[in-house]
Amino acid sequence: MSGNSVLRRARPIVLLAAAWGLLAPLATRGQGGEPRTFAIRGAKVFPVSSAPIENATIVVSKGLITAVGANVTIPPDAWMIDGKGLLVYPGLFDAFTDVGLTSPSAPPADKGEKQRAIARGPEDRPETTPWRKAEDEVNATDPRVESWRSAGFTTVVAVPKGGMFPGQAAILDLGEEHAGELVVKSPVALPVSLQASGGFRSYPGSLMGAIAYVRQVWLDTNWGTQASALYQKDPRGMERPKYTRSDAAIAEALAKHAVVLLPGNESLQIRRTLRLAQEWKLNAVLYGGQMAYEVAPEIAAAKTPVLVNLKWPEASKDADPEDTPSLRELRFRDRAPATPAALDKAGVKFAFYSDGISAPKDLLPGVKKAMDAGLSGDAALRALTLSPAEIFGVSQVLGSIEGGKIANLVVADGDLFDKKTKVKMVFVDGKKYEVRELLRPSEPPKGSLTGKWQLKFTSPQGEEEATADLTMEPDGTLTGMVSSEHGTGTVFSGWVSGDKFSFTINVQIEGNAGDVLFTGTLEGNSMKGTIQAMGYTLPFTATKPDASAGLQEGGAE
Amino acid sequence: MSVFAALFGGVGGYAQSAGDYAITHAKIFTLAGPPLEDGTVVIHGGKIAAVGAALEISAGVQVIDAKGLQVYPGLFDAVTQMGLREVGSVPATVDTTEVGSFNADLLAATAVLPSSAHLPVTRAAGITQVIAAPASGGLDSDGAGSQIAGQASALHMAGWTVDEMLLRRSAAMVVIWPSVETHSFDFSTFSVKEKPFTEAKKEYDKQVDQLAAYFEQARHYAQVLQAASGASFARDVKLDALAPVIRGELPLLVFADTAREIRDSAEFCEKQKVKMILAGGTEAWKMKDLLRSREIPVILRPTLGAPPEDDSPYDRMMTQPEELRAAGVKVVFASFDNSFSRRLGQQAANAVAHGLPHDEALKGVTLYPAQIFGLDTQLGTVETGKTANLIVTNGDPLDVTTEVRYLFIKGQLTSTDNKQKALYEKYLNRPKPVR
Amino acid sequence: MKLRILTLGAFLFLSFATTLAAREKTSPAAPVYAAPSVILIRNATILTASHGTIDKGDILIKDGKISAVGGTLKAPGDALVIDATGQFVTPGIIDCHSHIAVDGSVNEASVSVSSMVNIADVLNSDDISIYRDLAGGVTTANILHGSANSIGGQTVVIKLRWGQPAARLPFEGALPGIKFALGENPKRSNLRAISGSDRYPATRMGVEETIRSAFTEARDYKKAWDDFNKRAAAGEKNLLPPRRDLKLDPLVEVLEGKRLVHAHCYREDEILMLLRVAKEFGFHIQTLQHVLEGYKVADEIAAAGTGASTFSDWWAYKVEAYDAIPYNAALMTKRGVVVSINSDDAAEATHLNQEAAKSIAYGGLTRDEALKLVTLNPAIQLGIEKRVGSIDVGKDADLVIYNHDPLSAFAVVEKTLIDGLVYFDRAKDIAGRAALEKEKKELQEKAAKAREQEKEKEKKPQDKKEEKKAEEKKPEGKKPEEKPKPPQGDQLEGGAK
Repeated sequence: MSGNSVLRRARPIVLLAAAWGLLAPLATRGQGGEPRTFAIRGAKVFPVSSAPIENATIVVSKGLITAVGANVTIPPDAWMIDGKGLLVYPGLFDAFTDVGLTSPSAPPADKGEKQRAIARGPEDRPETTPWRKAEDEVNATDPRVESWRSAGFTTVVAVPKGGMFPGQAAILDLGEEHAGELVVKSPVALPVSLQASGGFRSYPGSLMGAIAYVRQVWLDTNWGTQASALYQKDPRGMERPKYTRSDAAIAEALAKHAVVLLPGNESLQIRRTLRLAQEWKLNAVLYGGQMAYEVAPEIAAAKTPVLVNLKWPEASKDADPEDTPSLRELRFRDRAPATPAALDKAGVKFAFYSDGISAPKDLLPGVKKAMDAGLSGDAALRALTLSPAEIFGVSQVLGSIEGGKIANLVVADGDLFDKKTKVKMVFVDGKKYEVRELLRPSEPPKGSLTGKWQLKFTSPQGEEEATADLTMEPDGTLTGMVSSEHGTGTVFSGWVSGDKFSFTINVQIEGNAGDVLFTGTLEGNSMKGTIQAMGYTLPFTATKPDASAGLQEGGAE
Repeated sequence: MSVFAALFGGVGGYAQSAGDYAITHAKIFTLAGPPLEDGTVVIHGGKIAAVGAALEISAGVQVIDAKGLQVYPGLFDAVTQMGLREVGSVPATVDTTEVGSFNADLLAATAVLPSSAHLPVTRAAGITQVIAAPASGGLDSDGAGSQIAGQASALHMAGWTVDEMLLRRSAAMVVIWPSVETHSFDFSTFSVKEKPFTEAKKEYDKQVDQLAAYFEQARHYAQVLQAASGASFARDVKLDALAPVIRGELPLLVFADTAREIRDSAEFCEKQKVKMILAGGTEAWKMKDLLRSREIPVILRPTLGAPPEDDSPYDRMMTQPEELRAAGVKVVFASFDNSFSRRLGQQAANAVAHGLPHDEALKGVTLYPAQIFGLDTQLGTVETGKTANLIVTNGDPLDVTTEVRYLFIKGQLTSTDNKQKALYEKYLNRPKPVR
Repeated sequence: MKLRILTLGAFLFLSFATTLAAREKTSPAAPVYAAPSVILIRNATILTASHGTIDKGDILIKDGKISAVGGTLKAPGDALVIDATGQFVTPGIIDCHSHIAVDGSVNEASVSVSSMVNIADVLNSDDISIYRDLAGGVTTANILHGSANSIGGQTVVIKLRWGQPAARLPFEGALPGIKFALGENPKRSNLRAISGSDRYPATRMGVEETIRSAFTEARDYKKAWDDFNKRAAAGEKNLLPPRRDLKLDPLVEVLEGKRLVHAHCYREDEILMLLRVAKEFGFHIQTLQHVLEGYKVADEIAAAGTGASTFSDWWAYKVEAYDAIPYNAALMTKRGVVVSINSDDAAEATHLNQEAAKSIAYGGLTRDEALKLVTLNPAIQLGIEKRVGSIDVGKDADLVIYNHDPLSAFAVVEKTLIDGLVYFDRAKDIAGRAALEKEKKELQEKAAKAREQEKEKEKKPQDKKEEKKAEEKKPEGKKPEEKPKPPQGDQLEGGAK
């Protein structure tokens, strides 16, 4: 290609082509022109709704599971998959996450404090945006969609973030279609947070303020419903009830049977939430739940389901060695993973979620920890599949391997909770996604990429700069973020091997999302290599201005 | 409003009458031997002239019949901001903490307000002398970043001017030992900010290194000072002020609370070869062997304060004095305040309730503070030749129901009138309101 | 070129971070004894607070209530007998101004009137201060909202039932309260420099106006509801009730005498102002809190039938505290005010018996009068005197056993009972410390071991081989002065410096 004007016209096409053609070890992809009927033959199948079936066959057709069993008729047009040695589970659910949603733009630094509107009372409805719907903010190109799916998660409850009433959650299937097609059901839930951030400037500034605020919102919503019903019947002579957008949105969501998600992680908070849910007569689901081992029977008595946060409490990485954590905190860290078993024993319905975990490879190990602390394999699997489907009202179509349900499946080469097991393929809405092994050489890293790097490169637009804030694990895995005037992208695949590195980010470049791949070599405090994006290959160099930052995480120590 | 009256001249007045006195028929707790039943103390020329059972009293001596009463050395509050702060929330009345990290040349006595209402109120409770220490407490000291805060002054609790109050102009050099700040309170968001330990430790190490470097500078300066007699060189008032410390003449009053701070500051003082007095000592029990072996006395924070951690035994602050004493550490009590200075006896009594021998507690608020500041030739016991700072009480001065009947400072009978007593009497006599 | 660096952790959404680092329970779970239905306390000096001191007597407790006081009493064989020879028993201390056991801030400081918030919503049963105050003899506490607002939040009286969940702390039957605050705190005189805020009110004039305004609104709101209720009772159909306003509901309760007002105040003029405003609107001020200049207007306070809850000897921390005197409690008592001494502070609350005793020296109260300052008087002020506040037959067995005369700084609490259950036992607390330390150590070691195992697992076999090589190489080439470094370490650090 030559000539700027030609480039500009060709760029979108090039971009798409490049995006597909990048060498980056993208984990899963749907292939175009695929068959719509599959049969997996001879695998061990875990339906969850019934006992596991050895040497079974599953038939998937047009997005649905059409048959499952030991003796099943396979349609002639089915693509055969040999299931010998493979285990098939229902696709896993992440019950509370923002994977699949556009990340909200961060507020401009420092202006936030003064410019944020000051609420002088509940009537100002601070931090309340329940009209926001997850279904409107789906971002199919969120790279986490792919990494979650590769870990076996086919379905998420996508929850908008920000504030006390952030919006309405939807159930998304993590496929690779256009945004709208990912939505399975919306709204399913109305999340509520009691985190008051007003300090002493804006209402509410305290926990009790947040509770009083939420209480007032329920009262106003009910009153508003009552008022508008009366007004509809006969408006004459009645003062027109003021329309409050947030109250209307809440009423609408509740009318559609959305459950209300209420927070509670420590036993004090859980008990308080159960009490409030009862006072407010809500169809409530508790999220957090990590200290439920102390109060499981009370949760059972309240018949409240629980979403358990898989990020178990642990010691902070950089704590003062002369500062011992309190006994209560130590006990919490020790016993929290026993919560799911306690909930199971008490007969509480529960599911798992990933809030706080950024790498999907940590999700199932979190479940494994709960199993080590007493949770049975069956209960663990159910909490990842049928239970969340039931909690969010989609168990007719999701959550188990049964004829007639949506074909969301995870196919693995071993027990799902075994660390050595690899997920081989994932079906989402009947579409097959192969999970390829991450191609990477694995020599121990010879340097550290951890730190804040300043990148310089020359693009068709001229000299450009970027910053990369990277963290390198001892085994060479790279995570972090890269920012430039084009935007900011999270590293979703990165590794260091010897003195070679490679990392990929996904950014919006002039309206189109695309992958940008950085590869090169590391020399002490500087990097050099190439950037590949949109069909271009540009050389770049990078330096780490803060020399001391890299010393902590050596490679082979 | 009575604020101004109190600030300029004082409600309730201050009266001392000079002269010779004999306190007779009292039970005298000399603290230099067993108590004397039915004893007499003769005061002359500002000093204790005689102490004994049946003493002859010459004519012209004012006799105070103290039958049924007790005589003690006046109490000594070893860390206060007496006279340096009038109303805590009003910055104009607060002179405790200066800006900047190294302020060795500042002297507490410079800023003491002799007409402070705190003086008559506090001495009426039996405290006859205090150490006024810069940056040693109160909201204004927190997070000030001060390291060498200035020189603490020892003061009598009475005098028309500060000069008359001076017991020792420069009693100790106050060092606020740095701390590892993993948690800090951010006023703009009214929340606690966390910092990773490695980062906080780095900053702490830097501050400690700076202090050490500054001391090295002061050492060099002191040597030059001694050597270069007559030769002119650029003087530095701050380094001048550190010279007595370097020479070992002026002790360092180090404020340190955590085990790390105590350990590091003790090591610092050992290396710098300076005498150390520890103030604060919340975790002193963790370092008791070190404190004993280095002979570092401890001025403890109030026993009535909250224990430092949630896992701390509920009585940690109150059992610590005995734990330290039993380990051979010298324990002194202090209020670390001014308006709560009159609780000094109560603080010591709570330590007694939790195991400290009563005798030790009493000495911890009289003789021991005098000893650690090198003032025990003048104060701390009821013995002939010492300055007559004495209290005559109707009971144990450590208990909360005891009243001070007579007060002697520098051998002068001092009135116990004060602003609070005056307000009480005024409103006691308020006629019933007309309806 | 703008460089924007975002960190991953920025969007920790809706995860309830454990901010409650300060609130944990580690002492032995209470009650210490399983509930015996009969307890006999033998041979103690009993300070009843209501009818003097009994020199050597017994107390019999049955099913949580005091069933007999004084003399030598008999108890059934299975009764728990506490030998209190040489010891002293008082009624449980009642702290009329406390901020313990609150989850989160005690202030909703953002607005001028925060009556919609309720302390009862955020009671924190895990606060170690509950246990420590028990160890200081406190059995009941009036948990108040802070003083950041002219009209603050709703308050609740609790019993310090350490180990029980939050829902079981409130004192059954005690009327709910509400906090008012006058003076420097609600007008933010001492915060302006930091907060830069311009919240109304900024003067004492504004403080009064805020109260008037709120009660005027409450009056109208009450009228709207009364009208609605009348019409609904008369059978009218299709009525829309007024919109419920959580801010005004508690103020209506104040007007109806169903909620007690506890007003933080200092200066004599603002005390009279509040009494006047209350009278005008027809409601009662139950207690004045701090009320450090109360002694100047004691007669007016007595005439209003309002209680005064004050400090023993705090002063000079604010301008409005400059005229505070330690004779305050005694003087007001002498003028007929029901006076209590409170803590306003978790640590102060551990020695309220000592603070009460100070009024013997400062103002000449008798021992009984002094004891009442922290027992019967606060009970009267909180309207719970039928249940607690003195050692009388029929009252709750809320008792404290001291090893020494309690009106002295030398007294130590041996046991504290609430509802006839031993919630604090000093001997058991001391005996149990070693086990807690041991458990802590074991948990730490367990966690450290788990972390080590994690690290081992993460390493690839190749790394392990490299490490072994490094170990073997170490002794070579090591200069005596240098610190030994594994060879790889050198390679890493060489470039980075």
